[in-house]
Amino acid sequence: MKPDIPAVLAELAGLVARNAAPDVDPAERAGALGLTAALLGMAAEAWEGAAHRLVEENQAIRGLLADAGERAGRNAALAVSRDDDLGISVLSDANAGLRAALIELHAAVETDETPEARSLETRIWEELRRSTERRQMSSALA
Amino acid sequence: MTSADLAPRLAAYAASRMPGAVGVEVRDLSRISGGASRQTFRFRLAWTEDGAPRERRMILRRDPPASLIDTERRVEFEAYRAFFGSSVPVPEMIWLEEGTEELDLPFSVAAEITGYEAAPALLWTEPYLAAHETLARNKWTILGEIARADPFALGLDAVMPPPEPGACAFRELDMWEKVLDEDQAEPLPITRAAIRWLRANPPPPAQRIGVVHGDFRTGNFLYDRHGGVHGVLDWEMAHLGDPLEDLGWSLNPVWNFKRNLAGGLVPDAVAIAHWEAASGLRADPAAVHWWTLLNCVKGQAIWISSARAWIDGGNREPIMVLPAWGMQNPQDRAILKVMDRL
Repeated sequence: MKPDIPAVLAELAGLVARNAAPDVDPAERAGALGLTAALLGMAAEAWEGAAHRLVEENQAIRGLLADAGERAGRNAALAVSRDDDLGISVLSDANAGLRAALIELHAAVETDETPEARSLETRIWEELRRSTERRQMSSALA
Repeated sequence: MTSADLAPRLAAYAASRMPGAVGVEVRDLSRISGGASRQTFRFRLAWTEDGAPRERRMILRRDPPASLIDTERRVEFEAYRAFFGSSVPVPEMIWLEEGTEELDLPFSVAAEITGYEAAPALLWTEPYLAAHETLARNKWTILGEIARADPFALGLDAVMPPPEPGACAFRELDMWEKVLDEDQAEPLPITRAAIRWLRANPPPPAQRIGVVHGDFRTGNFLYDRHGGVHGVLDWEMAHLGDPLEDLGWSLNPVWNFKRNLAGGLVPDAVAIAHWEAASGLRADPAAVHWWTLLNCVKGQAIWISSARAWIDGGNREPIMVLPAWGMQNPQDRAILKVMDRL
Protein backbone atom coordinates (compact mmCIF):
# COMPACT_ATOMS: atom_id res chain seq x y z
CA MET A 1 0.00 0.00 0.00
CA LYS A 2 1.53 3.28 -1.13
CA PRO A 3 2.29 5.74 0.37
CA ASP A 4 3.80 3.58 3.11
CA ILE A 5 1.73 3.39 6.27
CA PRO A 6 4.45 4.55 8.73
CA ALA A 7 5.14 7.69 6.69
CA VAL A 8 1.45 8.55 6.51
CA LEU A 9 0.95 7.95 10.24
CA ALA A 10 3.82 10.31 11.03
CA GLU A 11 2.28 12.98 8.83
CA LEU A 12 -1.13 12.47 10.43
CA ALA A 13 0.41 12.86 13.87
CA GLY A 14 1.64 16.31 12.87
CA LEU A 15 -1.73 17.18 11.36
CA VAL A 16 -3.59 16.23 14.52
CA ALA A 17 -1.16 18.24 16.62
CA ARG A 18 -1.66 21.31 14.44
CA ASN A 19 -5.42 20.93 14.70
CA ALA A 20 -5.18 20.89 18.48
CA ALA A 21 -4.42 24.61 18.36
CA PRO A 22 -7.45 26.66 19.45
CA ASP A 23 -7.41 29.11 16.55
CA VAL A 24 -7.92 26.58 13.75
CA ASP A 25 -11.00 27.26 11.62
CA PRO A 26 -13.66 24.76 12.80
CA ALA A 27 -14.58 23.72 9.26
CA GLU A 28 -10.94 23.09 8.36
CA ARG A 29 -10.42 21.18 11.61
CA ALA A 30 -13.48 19.04 10.94
CA GLY A 31 -12.29 18.23 7.44
CA ALA A 32 -8.75 17.39 8.54
CA LEU A 33 -9.84 15.21 11.45
CA GLY A 34 -12.49 13.43 9.41
CA LEU A 35 -9.95 12.47 6.78
CA THR A 36 -7.46 11.51 9.48
CA ALA A 37 -10.01 9.20 11.06
CA ALA A 38 -10.72 7.51 7.72
CA LEU A 39 -7.02 6.97 7.04
CA LEU A 40 -6.33 5.66 10.53
CA GLY A 41 -9.09 3.10 10.04
CA MET A 42 -7.60 1.97 6.75
CA ALA A 43 -4.10 1.78 8.25
CA ALA A 44 -5.32 -0.30 11.15
CA GLU A 45 -7.08 -2.75 8.85
CA ALA A 46 -4.18 -3.06 6.42
CA TRP A 47 -1.48 -3.30 9.08
CA GLU A 48 -2.89 -6.34 10.84
CA GLY A 49 -2.67 -8.58 7.79
CA ALA A 50 0.18 -6.92 5.89
CA ALA A 51 2.97 -9.43 6.62
CA HIS A 52 0.74 -12.45 6.04
CA ARG A 53 -0.56 -11.05 2.78
CA LEU A 54 2.90 -10.23 1.46
CA VAL A 55 4.36 -13.61 2.36
CA GLU A 56 1.41 -15.44 0.81
CA GLU A 57 1.55 -13.36 -2.35
CA ASN A 58 5.31 -13.67 -2.70
CA GLN A 59 5.07 -17.44 -2.39
CA ALA A 60 2.29 -17.62 -4.96
CA ILE A 61 4.28 -15.64 -7.50
CA ARG A 62 7.42 -17.69 -6.84
CA GLY A 63 5.36 -20.79 -7.57
CA LEU A 64 4.26 -19.37 -10.92
CA LEU A 65 7.81 -18.41 -11.82
CA ALA A 66 9.03 -21.88 -10.89
CA ASP A 67 6.39 -23.55 -13.03
CA ALA A 68 7.17 -21.18 -15.89
CA GLY A 69 10.73 -22.55 -16.10
CA GLU A 70 12.57 -21.01 -19.03
CA ARG A 71 9.61 -18.77 -19.80
CA ALA A 72 10.51 -16.79 -16.67
CA GLY A 73 13.67 -15.72 -18.48
CA ARG A 74 15.92 -13.39 -16.51
CA ASN A 75 13.56 -13.61 -13.53
CA ALA A 76 13.85 -17.38 -13.11
CA ALA A 77 16.15 -17.03 -10.12
CA LEU A 78 13.42 -15.20 -8.19
CA ALA A 79 11.52 -18.48 -8.01
CA VAL A 80 13.92 -19.75 -5.37
CA SER A 81 14.20 -16.55 -3.34
CA ARG A 82 12.93 -16.58 0.27
CA ASP A 83 11.29 -14.25 2.75
CA ASP A 84 13.75 -14.62 5.64
CA ASP A 85 13.21 -11.08 6.90
CA LEU A 86 9.57 -10.48 7.83
CA GLY A 87 9.86 -6.72 8.13
CA ILE A 88 7.06 -5.11 6.13
CA SER A 89 9.39 -2.89 4.11
CA VAL A 90 11.62 -5.86 3.19
CA LEU A 91 8.65 -8.00 2.24
CA SER A 92 7.23 -5.11 0.19
CA ASP A 93 10.49 -4.70 -1.71
CA ALA A 94 10.52 -8.42 -2.49
CA ASN A 95 6.87 -8.21 -3.51
CA ALA A 96 7.59 -5.37 -5.91
CA GLY A 97 10.35 -7.39 -7.57
CA LEU A 98 8.14 -10.43 -7.87
CA ARG A 99 5.16 -8.50 -9.24
CA ALA A 100 7.42 -6.88 -11.83
CA ALA A 101 8.57 -10.36 -12.84
CA LEU A 102 4.95 -11.51 -12.99
CA ILE A 103 4.14 -8.69 -15.43
CA GLU A 104 6.93 -9.86 -17.74
CA LEU A 105 5.86 -13.48 -17.51
CA HIS A 106 2.21 -12.59 -18.13
CA ALA A 107 3.10 -10.55 -21.22
CA ALA A 108 5.19 -13.44 -22.53
CA VAL A 109 2.61 -16.20 -22.07
CA GLU A 110 -0.44 -14.33 -23.35
CA THR A 111 0.99 -14.34 -26.88
CA ASP A 112 2.05 -17.98 -26.65
CA GLU A 113 -0.58 -20.45 -27.91
CA THR A 114 1.00 -23.60 -26.49
CA PRO A 115 -1.12 -25.54 -23.96
CA GLU A 116 1.51 -24.91 -21.28
CA ALA A 117 1.35 -21.16 -21.83
CA ARG A 118 -2.47 -21.17 -21.86
CA SER A 119 -2.50 -23.05 -18.57
CA LEU A 120 0.04 -20.70 -17.06
CA GLU A 121 -1.91 -17.63 -18.12
CA THR A 122 -5.06 -19.03 -16.53
CA ARG A 123 -3.12 -19.51 -13.28
CA ILE A 124 -1.68 -16.00 -13.47
CA TRP A 125 -5.15 -14.50 -13.78
CA GLU A 126 -6.28 -16.64 -10.87
CA GLU A 127 -3.41 -15.30 -8.76
CA LEU A 128 -4.22 -11.74 -9.80
CA ARG A 129 -7.81 -12.29 -8.73
CA ARG A 130 -6.64 -13.69 -5.39
CA SER A 131 -4.26 -10.77 -4.92
CA THR A 132 -7.16 -8.31 -5.14
CA GLU A 133 -9.01 -10.36 -2.51
CA ARG A 134 -5.99 -10.30 -0.20
CA ARG A 135 -5.68 -6.56 -0.54
CA GLN A 136 -9.39 -5.81 -0.21
CA MET A 137 -10.36 -3.63 2.75
CA SER A 138 -13.80 -3.22 4.26
CA SER A 139 -13.04 0.49 4.53
CA ALA A 140 -12.31 0.86 0.80
CA LEU A 141 -14.07 3.72 -0.91
CA ALA A 142 -15.65 1.72 -3.71
CA MET B 1 -2.33 30.94 4.06
CA THR B 2 -5.20 30.65 6.56
CA SER B 3 -8.81 31.60 5.81
CA ALA B 4 -8.30 34.71 7.96
CA ASP B 5 -5.37 35.78 5.77
CA LEU B 6 -7.10 34.83 2.56
CA ALA B 7 -10.37 36.76 3.06
CA PRO B 8 -9.01 40.35 2.90
CA ARG B 9 -6.79 39.54 -0.08
CA LEU B 10 -9.70 37.98 -1.92
CA ALA B 11 -11.86 41.01 -1.07
CA ALA B 12 -9.19 43.36 -2.41
CA TYR B 13 -9.02 41.33 -5.61
CA ALA B 14 -12.82 41.36 -6.02
CA ALA B 15 -12.91 45.13 -5.43
CA SER B 16 -10.34 45.60 -8.18
CA ARG B 17 -12.61 43.72 -10.58
CA MET B 18 -15.84 45.53 -9.60
CA PRO B 19 -15.41 49.21 -10.45
CA GLY B 20 -18.94 50.16 -9.34
CA ALA B 21 -18.67 48.44 -5.97
CA VAL B 22 -17.64 49.99 -2.66
CA GLY B 23 -17.04 48.36 0.71
CA VAL B 24 -16.33 44.94 -0.81
CA GLU B 25 -16.08 42.28 1.89
CA VAL B 26 -15.52 38.53 1.93
CA ARG B 27 -17.63 36.95 4.66
CA ASP B 28 -17.81 33.44 6.11
CA LEU B 29 -14.92 32.09 4.05
CA SER B 30 -14.57 28.40 4.84
CA ARG B 31 -12.83 25.51 3.19
CA ILE B 32 -14.95 22.71 1.77
CA SER B 33 -13.77 19.16 2.43
CA GLY B 34 -12.60 17.14 -0.52
CA GLY B 35 -11.34 18.86 -3.61
CA ALA B 36 -8.19 16.82 -4.10
CA SER B 37 -7.20 18.68 -7.24
CA ARG B 38 -8.18 22.18 -6.11
CA GLN B 39 -8.46 23.88 -2.72
CA THR B 40 -12.13 24.83 -2.58
CA PHE B 41 -13.67 27.53 -0.37
CA ARG B 42 -17.22 28.81 0.07
CA PHE B 43 -17.82 32.50 0.88
CA ARG B 44 -20.29 35.37 0.66
CA LEU B 45 -19.20 38.45 -1.25
CA ALA B 46 -20.87 41.60 0.10
CA TRP B 47 -20.63 45.09 -1.38
CA THR B 48 -22.56 48.33 -1.93
CA GLU B 49 -23.46 49.43 -5.43
CA ASP B 50 -25.54 52.46 -6.41
CA GLY B 51 -26.20 52.97 -2.72
CA ALA B 52 -27.76 49.53 -2.28
CA PRO B 53 -26.23 46.63 -0.34
CA ARG B 54 -25.58 43.52 -2.43
CA GLU B 55 -24.47 40.00 -1.59
CA ARG B 56 -23.64 36.88 -3.58
CA ARG B 57 -22.58 33.40 -2.55
CA MET B 58 -19.47 32.25 -4.35
CA ILE B 59 -16.93 29.45 -4.62
CA LEU B 60 -13.17 30.01 -4.72
CA ARG B 61 -11.01 27.24 -6.16
CA ARG B 62 -7.25 27.53 -5.74
CA ASP B 63 -4.61 25.26 -7.21
CA PRO B 64 -2.59 23.47 -4.54
CA PRO B 65 1.17 23.16 -5.12
CA ALA B 66 0.70 19.60 -6.43
CA SER B 67 -2.71 18.22 -7.20
CA LEU B 68 -4.31 14.86 -7.78
CA ILE B 69 -4.93 15.81 -11.37
CA ASP B 70 -2.55 18.19 -13.11
CA THR B 71 -4.84 20.21 -15.32
CA GLU B 72 -5.07 23.50 -17.12
CA ARG B 73 -7.34 25.83 -15.20
CA ARG B 74 -8.05 27.86 -18.35
CA VAL B 75 -9.47 24.78 -20.05
CA GLU B 76 -11.72 24.07 -17.10
CA PHE B 77 -12.87 27.68 -16.90
CA GLU B 78 -13.72 27.84 -20.59
CA ALA B 79 -15.58 24.53 -20.44
CA TYR B 80 -17.84 25.89 -17.71
CA ARG B 81 -18.34 29.11 -19.64
CA ALA B 82 -19.20 27.26 -22.84
CA PHE B 83 -22.09 25.37 -21.24
CA PHE B 84 -23.40 28.10 -18.91
CA GLY B 85 -27.03 28.87 -19.80
CA SER B 86 -27.42 25.66 -21.85
CA SER B 87 -29.31 22.45 -21.10
CA VAL B 88 -26.15 21.26 -19.35
CA PRO B 89 -26.43 22.97 -15.96
CA VAL B 90 -23.20 24.49 -14.69
CA PRO B 91 -22.33 27.29 -12.28
CA GLU B 92 -21.50 30.71 -13.66
CA MET B 93 -17.80 31.43 -13.85
CA ILE B 94 -16.89 34.91 -12.56
CA TRP B 95 -13.10 35.35 -12.52
CA LEU B 96 -9.99 33.43 -13.48
CA GLU B 97 -6.49 34.36 -12.38
CA GLU B 98 -3.68 32.29 -13.82
CA GLY B 99 -0.90 34.20 -12.08
CA THR B 100 0.28 33.93 -8.49
CA GLU B 101 0.42 37.61 -7.53
CA GLU B 102 -3.07 37.92 -6.10
CA LEU B 103 -3.52 34.86 -3.87
CA ASP B 104 -0.10 33.17 -4.17
CA LEU B 105 -1.62 30.43 -6.35
CA PRO B 106 -3.78 30.47 -9.51
CA PHE B 107 -7.49 30.50 -8.78
CA SER B 108 -11.00 30.85 -10.15
CA VAL B 109 -14.19 32.21 -8.64
CA ALA B 110 -17.67 30.97 -9.54
CA ALA B 111 -21.21 31.59 -8.38
CA GLU B 112 -22.33 29.02 -5.83
CA ILE B 113 -25.33 26.86 -6.71
CA THR B 114 -27.10 26.37 -3.39
CA GLY B 115 -29.78 24.10 -2.04
CA TYR B 116 -28.69 20.82 -3.60
CA GLU B 117 -26.61 17.80 -2.68
CA ALA B 118 -23.49 16.32 -4.25
CA ALA B 119 -22.42 13.53 -1.85
CA PRO B 120 -23.10 10.05 -3.28
CA ALA B 121 -23.75 8.57 0.19
CA LEU B 122 -27.02 10.45 0.52
CA LEU B 123 -28.34 8.78 -2.60
CA TRP B 124 -28.64 5.45 -0.83
CA THR B 125 -30.99 6.90 1.77
CA GLU B 126 -34.62 8.01 1.72
CA PRO B 127 -36.07 10.02 0.07
CA TYR B 128 -33.38 9.86 -2.62
CA LEU B 129 -33.66 6.09 -3.19
CA ALA B 130 -37.05 6.54 -4.77
CA ALA B 131 -35.69 8.96 -7.37
CA HIS B 132 -32.89 6.84 -8.79
CA GLU B 133 -34.52 6.16 -12.16
CA THR B 134 -35.32 9.82 -12.68
CA LEU B 135 -31.87 10.87 -11.55
CA ALA B 136 -30.27 8.33 -13.88
CA ARG B 137 -32.32 9.55 -16.82
CA ASN B 138 -31.30 13.14 -16.11
CA LYS B 139 -27.68 12.20 -15.46
CA TRP B 140 -27.10 10.27 -18.68
CA THR B 141 -29.30 12.61 -20.73
CA ILE B 142 -27.08 15.50 -19.68
CA LEU B 143 -24.01 13.45 -20.52
CA GLY B 144 -25.57 12.76 -23.92
CA GLU B 145 -26.17 16.48 -24.39
CA ILE B 146 -22.51 17.17 -23.65
CA ALA B 147 -21.68 14.55 -26.30
CA ARG B 148 -24.11 16.19 -28.76
CA ALA B 149 -22.65 19.68 -28.30
CA ASP B 150 -20.50 21.06 -31.11
CA PRO B 151 -17.14 21.99 -29.56
CA PHE B 152 -16.17 24.08 -32.57
CA ALA B 153 -19.35 26.15 -32.43
CA LEU B 154 -18.70 26.65 -28.72
CA GLY B 155 -15.19 27.85 -29.49
CA LEU B 156 -13.64 25.21 -27.29
CA ASP B 157 -11.18 24.12 -29.97
CA ALA B 158 -9.29 27.33 -29.12
CA VAL B 159 -8.27 25.89 -25.75
CA MET B 160 -8.67 22.14 -26.34
CA PRO B 161 -6.78 20.62 -29.28
CA PRO B 162 -9.13 18.45 -31.39
CA PRO B 163 -7.74 15.00 -32.20
CA GLU B 164 -8.49 13.08 -35.36
CA PRO B 165 -11.39 10.64 -34.85
CA GLY B 166 -9.09 7.69 -35.31
CA ALA B 167 -6.54 9.02 -32.84
CA CYS B 168 -8.78 9.59 -29.80
CA ALA B 169 -8.43 6.17 -28.25
CA PHE B 170 -4.66 5.77 -28.24
CA ARG B 171 -4.10 9.42 -27.38
CA GLU B 172 -5.90 8.78 -24.08
CA LEU B 173 -4.24 5.41 -23.57
CA ASP B 174 -0.79 6.87 -24.26
CA MET B 175 -1.40 9.73 -21.86
CA TRP B 176 -2.57 7.62 -18.94
CA GLU B 177 0.05 4.94 -19.49
CA LYS B 178 2.68 7.69 -19.32
CA VAL B 179 1.23 8.87 -16.00
CA LEU B 180 1.49 5.30 -14.71
CA ASP B 181 5.06 4.93 -15.99
CA GLU B 182 6.10 8.13 -14.28
CA ASP B 183 4.15 7.89 -11.05
CA GLN B 184 3.72 4.26 -10.05
CA ALA B 185 5.31 3.44 -6.71
CA GLU B 186 4.96 -0.31 -7.15
CA PRO B 187 4.31 -2.68 -10.08
CA LEU B 188 0.70 -2.95 -11.27
CA PRO B 189 0.23 -6.34 -12.97
CA ILE B 190 -3.54 -6.04 -13.42
CA THR B 191 -3.40 -2.55 -14.88
CA ARG B 192 -0.52 -3.51 -17.18
CA ALA B 193 -2.47 -6.52 -18.45
CA ALA B 194 -5.39 -4.21 -19.20
CA ILE B 195 -3.13 -1.85 -21.14
CA ARG B 196 -1.78 -4.70 -23.25
CA TRP B 197 -5.33 -5.82 -24.03
CA LEU B 198 -6.39 -2.28 -24.95
CA ARG B 199 -3.46 -1.94 -27.35
CA ALA B 200 -4.24 -5.26 -28.99
CA ASN B 201 -7.95 -4.55 -29.42
CA PRO B 202 -8.42 -0.90 -30.52
CA PRO B 203 -11.95 0.50 -30.83
CA PRO B 204 -13.41 2.02 -34.01
CA PRO B 205 -12.75 5.71 -34.70
CA ALA B 206 -14.92 8.26 -32.90
CA GLN B 207 -18.28 8.87 -34.58
CA ARG B 208 -17.63 12.55 -34.03
CA ILE B 209 -15.26 14.74 -32.06
CA GLY B 210 -17.10 16.03 -29.05
CA VAL B 211 -16.61 17.62 -25.66
CA VAL B 212 -15.44 15.11 -23.09
CA HIS B 213 -16.14 16.21 -19.53
CA GLY B 214 -13.51 13.82 -18.25
CA ASP B 215 -14.92 13.15 -14.76
CA PHE B 216 -18.68 12.76 -15.22
CA ARG B 217 -19.81 10.44 -12.45
CA THR B 218 -22.09 10.18 -9.46
CA GLY B 219 -20.57 12.61 -6.97
CA ASN B 220 -19.67 15.29 -9.48
CA PHE B 221 -23.09 16.83 -9.99
CA LEU B 222 -25.65 18.56 -7.77
CA TYR B 223 -28.96 16.77 -7.36
CA ASP B 224 -32.26 17.14 -5.55
CA ARG B 225 -34.57 14.65 -3.87
CA HIS B 226 -36.75 14.36 -6.97
CA GLY B 227 -33.92 13.27 -9.26
CA GLY B 228 -33.22 16.68 -10.76
CA VAL B 229 -29.64 17.58 -11.69
CA HIS B 230 -28.77 21.24 -11.14
CA GLY B 231 -25.06 21.57 -11.67
CA VAL B 232 -22.37 19.53 -13.40
CA LEU B 233 -19.09 20.14 -11.61
CA ASP B 234 -15.39 19.21 -11.86
CA TRP B 235 -14.59 19.96 -15.48
CA GLU B 236 -10.86 20.04 -14.81
CA MET B 237 -10.15 17.08 -17.11
CA ALA B 238 -12.34 18.38 -19.96
CA HIS B 239 -10.98 17.90 -23.46
CA LEU B 240 -12.09 17.10 -26.99
CA GLY B 241 -12.27 13.49 -28.04
CA ASP B 242 -14.55 10.49 -28.50
CA PRO B 243 -17.81 11.07 -26.58
CA LEU B 244 -17.82 7.36 -25.70
CA GLU B 245 -14.93 8.13 -23.37
CA ASP B 246 -17.27 9.93 -20.95
CA LEU B 247 -19.79 7.10 -21.15
CA GLY B 248 -17.01 4.66 -20.28
CA TRP B 249 -15.95 6.71 -17.26
CA SER B 250 -19.52 6.83 -16.01
CA LEU B 251 -19.65 3.01 -16.32
CA ASN B 252 -16.31 2.42 -14.56
CA PRO B 253 -17.36 -0.05 -11.82
CA VAL B 254 -15.62 1.96 -9.10
CA TRP B 255 -18.44 4.49 -9.47
CA ASN B 256 -21.02 1.80 -8.69
CA PHE B 257 -20.49 2.43 -4.99
CA LYS B 258 -20.68 -1.31 -4.27
CA ARG B 259 -24.22 -1.51 -5.71
CA ASN B 260 -23.47 -3.28 -9.03
CA LEU B 261 -25.41 -0.61 -10.92
CA ALA B 262 -24.09 2.11 -13.21
CA GLY B 263 -23.34 5.07 -10.97
CA GLY B 264 -25.04 3.10 -8.19
CA LEU B 265 -28.35 3.96 -9.85
CA VAL B 266 -29.50 1.76 -12.76
CA PRO B 267 -28.28 -1.18 -14.89
CA ASP B 268 -25.64 -0.27 -17.47
CA ALA B 269 -28.06 -0.90 -20.33
CA VAL B 270 -30.50 1.69 -19.00
CA ALA B 271 -27.77 4.30 -18.63
CA ILE B 272 -26.52 3.59 -22.14
CA ALA B 273 -30.04 3.88 -23.60
CA HIS B 274 -30.50 7.33 -22.03
CA TRP B 275 -27.12 8.42 -23.36
CA GLU B 276 -27.83 7.16 -26.88
CA ALA B 277 -31.22 8.91 -26.97
CA ALA B 278 -29.73 12.25 -25.92
CA SER B 279 -26.46 12.13 -27.85
CA GLY B 280 -27.76 10.82 -31.14
CA LEU B 281 -24.76 8.49 -31.15
CA ARG B 282 -24.60 4.71 -31.10
CA ALA B 283 -22.92 3.05 -28.16
CA ASP B 284 -21.36 0.07 -29.92
CA PRO B 285 -20.98 -2.59 -27.19
CA ALA B 286 -17.39 -3.45 -28.12
CA ALA B 287 -16.43 0.23 -28.17
CA VAL B 288 -18.16 0.88 -24.84
CA HIS B 289 -16.27 -2.07 -23.39
CA TRP B 290 -12.96 -0.67 -24.65
CA TRP B 291 -13.67 2.79 -23.28
CA THR B 292 -14.85 1.42 -19.95
CA LEU B 293 -11.61 -0.53 -19.57
CA LEU B 294 -9.58 2.50 -20.70
CA ASN B 295 -11.30 4.48 -17.98
CA CYS B 296 -10.36 1.83 -15.43
CA VAL B 297 -6.73 2.38 -16.44
CA LYS B 298 -7.27 6.13 -16.25
CA GLY B 299 -8.75 5.76 -12.78
CA GLN B 300 -5.76 3.75 -11.62
CA ALA B 301 -3.43 6.39 -13.05
CA ILE B 302 -5.23 9.09 -11.08
CA TRP B 303 -5.07 7.15 -7.81
CA ILE B 304 -1.41 6.36 -8.44
CA SER B 305 -0.56 9.99 -9.19
CA SER B 306 -2.26 10.99 -5.96
CA ALA B 307 0.11 8.69 -4.10
CA ARG B 308 3.07 10.07 -6.04
CA ALA B 309 2.21 13.68 -5.20
CA TRP B 310 2.17 12.74 -1.51
CA ILE B 311 5.32 10.61 -1.64
CA ASP B 312 7.31 13.32 -3.41
CA GLY B 313 6.17 15.88 -0.85
CA GLY B 314 4.44 18.15 -3.34
CA ASN B 315 1.16 17.79 -1.48
CA ARG B 316 0.98 16.23 1.99
CA GLU B 317 -2.75 16.82 2.44
CA PRO B 318 -4.51 13.70 3.77
CA ILE B 319 -7.00 13.90 0.89
CA MET B 320 -4.14 12.78 -1.37
CA VAL B 321 -3.74 9.52 0.57
CA LEU B 322 -7.43 8.65 0.62
CA PRO B 323 -7.76 7.68 -3.07
CA ALA B 324 -4.29 6.13 -3.07
CA TRP B 325 -5.26 3.77 -0.26
CA GLY B 326 -8.99 3.53 -0.81
CA MET B 327 -9.33 3.26 -4.58
CA GLN B 328 -6.42 1.24 -5.99
CA ASN B 329 -7.77 -2.13 -4.92
CA PRO B 330 -11.36 -1.38 -6.00
CA GLN B 331 -9.96 -0.19 -9.32
CA ASP B 332 -8.03 -3.44 -9.75
CA ARG B 333 -11.23 -5.37 -9.04
CA ALA B 334 -13.06 -3.17 -11.54
CA ILE B 335 -10.49 -4.02 -14.20
CA LEU B 336 -10.91 -7.73 -13.48
CA LYS B 337 -14.68 -7.35 -13.71
CA VAL B 338 -14.59 -5.47 -17.03
CA MET B 339 -12.11 -8.02 -18.42
CA ASP B 340 -14.39 -10.84 -17.19
CA ARG B 341 -11.63 -12.19 -14.95
CA LEU B 342 -13.29 -11.70 -11.58
